[in-house]
Amino acid sequence: MPPSQLKQLKASLRDGGILGPQQSKKQKRQNAKTGVSAQNRMKRDSALQAIRDRFNPFEIKATSRAKFDVTTRDVGSKSTQNHARPGVTKSLGEEKRRQTLLREMDRKNKVGGIFDRRFGEDDPTMTPEERAAERFARESQKKLRKESMFNLEDDEEEFTLTHGGQSLSFGEGALGDDFQEGDLGPDDESDSELPRKRKRVLGDDEDLEDIVDDEEEGEEQPERKKSKHEVMKEVIAKSKFYKAERQKAKEDDDDLREELDKGLPDLFDMLRGVKPPPKPEPPKDDLAAMNPARAALLAGKSQDETEQEYDQRLKQLTFDKRSQPTDRTKTAEEKAEEEAQRLKTLEEERLRRMRGEESSEDEDEDEEMNEEDGSGDEEEDDESLPDDAKAFGLQQPTAETSTRPELGVEDEDDFIIDDDLVETRSDVSLSFIESDSEMESAEESEEEEEEEEDELINGFTIPGLKSGDAPAASDEEPSDGLAYTYPCPGSHDEFLEIIKDVSMQDLPTVVQRIRALHHPRLHSDNKMKLGRFAGILVQHVAYMADQPEHPPFAIVENLLRHIHSLAKSHPDNVCQAYRAHLRQIATERPLNLHPGDLVILTGIATTFPTSDHFHAIATPAHLCIARYLGQGAVNSLADLSTGTYAASLSLQYQMISKRYMPELINYILNILCHLSPKEPSESLGYFPTRSPPTSLRLNPSKSVSPRKLRFWDITEQSSSNSEELKLSLITTLVTLLGTASDLWISKSAYTEIFTPAQKVLKHLLRSCKGSKISPVTRDTLQSTLDKVDNHLAQARRTRRPLLLHHHRPLAIKTAIPKFEETFNPDKHYDPDRERAESNRLKAEYKRERKGAMRELRKDANFIAREKLREKKERDAEYERKYKRLVAEVQNEEGREANAYERVKRMRQGKR
Amino acid sequence: MPAPTVAATTSKKRKNVKSSGVPSSKRRAVAESDSAVAMADIQQLEDQISESRKYYNNIATLISMLDVDGSTKPNMAVAVALCRVFSRLIAGGNMTETSRAAENEKIIVAWLKERCREYQKLLLSIIRQCDSSSQISALTLCLCLINERATHISGDDIQDWSSGLFKGVFEAVVEAKDGQAVLSDFIEKAKEFEDVRYYTFMQLADYADTERSTETIDILISILSACDSVPGPEHEFESFYTQSSKKNKKVLSVNSHKKRAQDAWLAILRNNLSQSQRKTLLRIMVHNIEPWFNRPELLMDFLTDSYNVGGATSLLALSGLFYLIQEKNLDYPQFYQKLYSLLDADLLHSKHRSRFFRLMNTFLASTHLPAALIASFMKRLSRLSLNAPPAAIVAIVPFMYNLLKEHPTCAFMMHRTISDEDTKAQLLAEGMDDPFDATEPDPTRTKAIESSLWEIETLQSHYHPNVAAIARIISEQFTKQFYNLEDFLDYTYQGMLQAELGTEDKPFKRVPVVEYQIPRRIFTDRMLEEDGGQDSGPGSLIRGLWDFAS
Repeated sequence: MPPSQLKQLKASLRDGGILGPQQSKKQKRQNAKTGVSAQNRMKRDSALQAIRDRFNPFEIKATSRAKFDVTTRDVGSKSTQNHARPGVTKSLGEEKRRQTLLREMDRKNKVGGIFDRRFGEDDPTMTPEERAAERFARESQKKLRKESMFNLEDDEEEFTLTHGGQSLSFGEGALGDDFQEGDLGPDDESDSELPRKRKRVLGDDEDLEDIVDDEEEGEEQPERKKSKHEVMKEVIAKSKFYKAERQKAKEDDDDLREELDKGLPDLFDMLRGVKPPPKPEPPKDDLAAMNPARAALLAGKSQDETEQEYDQRLKQLTFDKRSQPTDRTKTAEEKAEEEAQRLKTLEEERLRRMRGEESSEDEDEDEEMNEEDGSGDEEEDDESLPDDAKAFGLQQPTAETSTRPELGVEDEDDFIIDDDLVETRSDVSLSFIESDSEMESAEESEEEEEEEEDELINGFTIPGLKSGDAPAASDEEPSDGLAYTYPCPGSHDEFLEIIKDVSMQDLPTVVQRIRALHHPRLHSDNKMKLGRFAGILVQHVAYMADQPEHPPFAIVENLLRHIHSLAKSHPDNVCQAYRAHLRQIATERPLNLHPGDLVILTGIATTFPTSDHFHAIATPAHLCIARYLGQGAVNSLADLSTGTYAASLSLQYQMISKRYMPELINYILNILCHLSPKEPSESLGYFPTRSPPTSLRLNPSKSVSPRKLRFWDITEQSSSNSEELKLSLITTLVTLLGTASDLWISKSAYTEIFTPAQKVLKHLLRSCKGSKISPVTRDTLQSTLDKVDNHLAQARRTRRPLLLHHHRPLAIKTAIPKFEETFNPDKHYDPDRERAESNRLKAEYKRERKGAMRELRKDANFIAREKLREKKERDAEYERKYKRLVAEVQNEEGREANAYERVKRMRQGKR
Repeated sequence: MPAPTVAATTSKKRKNVKSSGVPSSKRRAVAESDSAVAMADIQQLEDQISESRKYYNNIATLISMLDVDGSTKPNMAVAVALCRVFSRLIAGGNMTETSRAAENEKIIVAWLKERCREYQKLLLSIIRQCDSSSQISALTLCLCLINERATHISGDDIQDWSSGLFKGVFEAVVEAKDGQAVLSDFIEKAKEFEDVRYYTFMQLADYADTERSTETIDILISILSACDSVPGPEHEFESFYTQSSKKNKKVLSVNSHKKRAQDAWLAILRNNLSQSQRKTLLRIMVHNIEPWFNRPELLMDFLTDSYNVGGATSLLALSGLFYLIQEKNLDYPQFYQKLYSLLDADLLHSKHRSRFFRLMNTFLASTHLPAALIASFMKRLSRLSLNAPPAAIVAIVPFMYNLLKEHPTCAFMMHRTISDEDTKAQLLAEGMDDPFDATEPDPTRTKAIESSLWEIETLQSHYHPNVAAIARIISEQFTKQFYNLEDFLDYTYQGMLQAELGTEDKPFKRVPVVEYQIPRRIFTDRMLEEDGGQDSGPGSLIRGLWDFAS
């Protein structure tokens, strides 16, 4: 059994060193001197505290049981948690509440310690007048209400205390106004703004008020009580007075504002920095009144301004462009080098495009475009399933528009052609411009500098201005008097109208003049006009070539060169025109190309870099040619000529990029098979055969020699020289095959491509063996065959198994969690910034809410407790009072009782 | 034309009302030249016949008035009148012999029957030769007569339909001169009335049993393929031309319907078909023909024959054959060999290319096929792709990608490292031949798996950028599960061009590059001496080969 509490206490006190032997006085003094006593006292206090704690275990709340020891638990608060003192915190809270809440409670509805029971005091909806009126009404009602005739107390009120003949009651004089007039005025300042303002603005109004007060006092002088009528009058008068006051204040405000407005222009002038015209010297007393320091400041300000101005000027000067030395005139070598450099970069650019790479500055753009495309795709995806093919830019035709009407022969225009084919003067003038390459390159460098100067019109000067000193042009000036000015046509028809009377030979001159007259420098509209003109020229070239009178190619070439130079300045228009023509081919005559189409395709070959991986014009042009080669008619020799021209064009397109075109090989081999004197006995390869309805085989009986193919063979209908044409076709096609073999030797499937070609060539040679075929053809055949043989052997030597998949193997997706080096459990590692922020806010809100609720609950408890206490107090008070009264009564009555007793006893005693 | 209303009537009473309406409308239709007198005559003759049998000779008179021979416009009013007369007689029982009838009665019946036959023959000859409106009305009259006979003469219905008048009608319709209108009318009837259709199948099977000319078979095919609504197993037959057919159990059963149709089709398929007809039939095989067949295996002969023809016919036969293989467990030896042989030069250029690819995708879908076989197909396809139009290449490459993904063994065709030092040295020194044997017909023995897909690698430099991009997928990592082949089929030059060019001018996203140097010459030899007589600028190839002088 443990010892008793007292014993325990004693023991612990002794242990804590509090109870100990008494110290001597000397010792005490010494301790006090050295400060040890203070230390000791502190030690003692803490020890006592510890003992108290130990003896009151409910003072300290220890966490009943430790939960799992997890890392995320707040370590810092752990110690305090172990030693929570609920009693302390509770009493602290209580104390605080007593300080704040209780005070508030006590002062509720009280002003300065007394209850403010004035009617409408805290009602913000009432104006002071209303408040006053209401209060007065209530008061007077209360007065008038006489509950009964016999109410003594009411009568008593008739008697009022007086002092010096004046009533001392508060009620009468200042019934409704609550002493607002003079004495309480300052108090009211805080309540409403109006009086304050009034005070500020009109100091002299005090007099008026005094007068009113006086009047009131005068009225109050008689002792008689005012009648209701009088009171009302008084109230009305007062409110009128206030109204007048307000009006006055407002007027004053207006005056003040006006005054300010008058000064505004001056202020603006100052803001603008323009010095206002010097004002008339301010009155003397003004300056005198001014602070001398301030006056000095004013004087110095002008100096500041001048300094500032000076600084500004100085800065302007420093930022001025310095005169620079002009560029040194370059030597010829330097120029050449520069030119070579430029050409090199351009060539590099072309190669880059050929590989289909994006230039660095284009990449951003491209990404944007991709994004746009992506969004577009998404929209499309809404409608349909994602299309794998779309990723490669493939797209199904939206509607079948494969109506292929044969284009009829166009109306023949009354197009007069000068028959004397003089070497065109345009040519001379052009050659004058481009007589040497350096000149051209110089011009191009000019173009490089965005000068937009065009070599094709450079040499051309408007003859009216310089007719005298243009010797090159003067003697070749056409006799038929070309106009010097031509309007810029807006459509092809207009252009045809313009050149109606112009001979074919003069066409380049006309074009040149139109270009010179509408040079973009001359007028801002000219750029647009020339752009349209460029499109018209494209149309016209095709139109010209389709005419039955074959235009001289020099003219066509000149126009194409014009188009090319226009394309540099107006790429959009020219490209659109070319695309429009290609579109026309694709929809109207994909399998029946006209001479005009071929000329346009040739123009494309020179105007645009056909080696590009993707080009808005070259790619469709490729497709057009390939389509013709793959599906076009092979019915007549004219068709074959067209096809051969198309085949040559396609090879021309691929001279640099060396891309493979299956249709070309198919076409050449197929045609060779059908032109060869004998039909091949077996299939010579995987190329599809398309046979002409009538045999077009070379008839070896006659001896003919091949010639160079003429462009207009493509329209040749006569069969006069068909054998010669056939032989020429064979020769040309075989040559093309040889060229193709050169181009594609590096292809890995060269063997597969050219084994059939080898077979066809062999067959051709064999079937030509006995016939009287000119040795030229045979030589061509033999040499091409040798070349193909060589190339085949070479291809075999260089052939290796494919090694396409030297990719780094794909990594398996990792499942290792991402570790944080310095993990802090209090920190949140949400990578999503926004989510983390919102989580943080949510947690804070929750915490605050909980805290507020707890506080409110405690407050409510406190209030309830306090109320209870008050009630108890009141009850106790009442009890006490009651008891006192009872005691009093008992005292009084006791005497009577005693007396009664006595009398009773006396009576009994008497008896 | 009053025909449909007449045909639809069943009760005798209504019939009379209707038929009295017929002549009036007929009268209006006939030209003015046929005077009202003639009409009145006909009417009178007709009325007399119904009055008493002593006027039966009027029938002969009317028949003679028909005057079918010679003219193409027979007197249809007479024909209609006669039809009414015979209908009345049949309905009245005047044309049925009773055993107990008197001798002279029998003679009269026999005489009437004789006349009736005569009349029928004349109608048929109208169908055969006359103009189309007469043909159609004659057809209607015939069917009308059949209806009457089937309704009123017991035991006559089946005989009538199967061998009697209907047989004649069918033959007449098929052999009719300029018979487009009457044929379409007949097809309409056959489609509408299920008993007509049933007996048509029957007649057709009979008719097609013997060898017929191509045109006739065309007509037969058109009749048969028009009847394309195959009754389901729960089908209730409801619309009949003659009500008596309702009692006929055969007509009422779906199976017998199908059997008839099957017989008819088989008869046609066995006939001598032209190549184009064969293709037509193969094209409608799966949707129109096979559903009629209770025993589709009967089609096997036809399909295998067609498959062996080669070319486009084989392609078309494939789907039908595949249906049999899949559904009916048809054992087709060397199916894949045959399929392999179909991959020839023209396949990728034919218009059935997409169809073939869809089928081939199904055939080669199994992962249990030997890798050598798959490799052969891939190699052959890649060989063909060297001569293929871009639209075909676009389909081939994703198809091969899918195959490579399914058969990882074939990946050697894209990537083959040689570890053997000797072989490597030899390779470096001499290069190699393609081990693939293109002439080997058996796809399991072509050694394609030892080869490489150089062809596809070459196509990576195809002139069309999109095709080149697609060809590039085989040299990139195979991260995509598979390509949806359907997205890559059905491309054409036209579609690709349209995709490139659009339908109208649109502003460029990026301005196309223009060649920076304006060439000196495009066509002519301008300023050739400046370059020392050597033409080497752009376009020199064209200038070298072509003469632009004139």
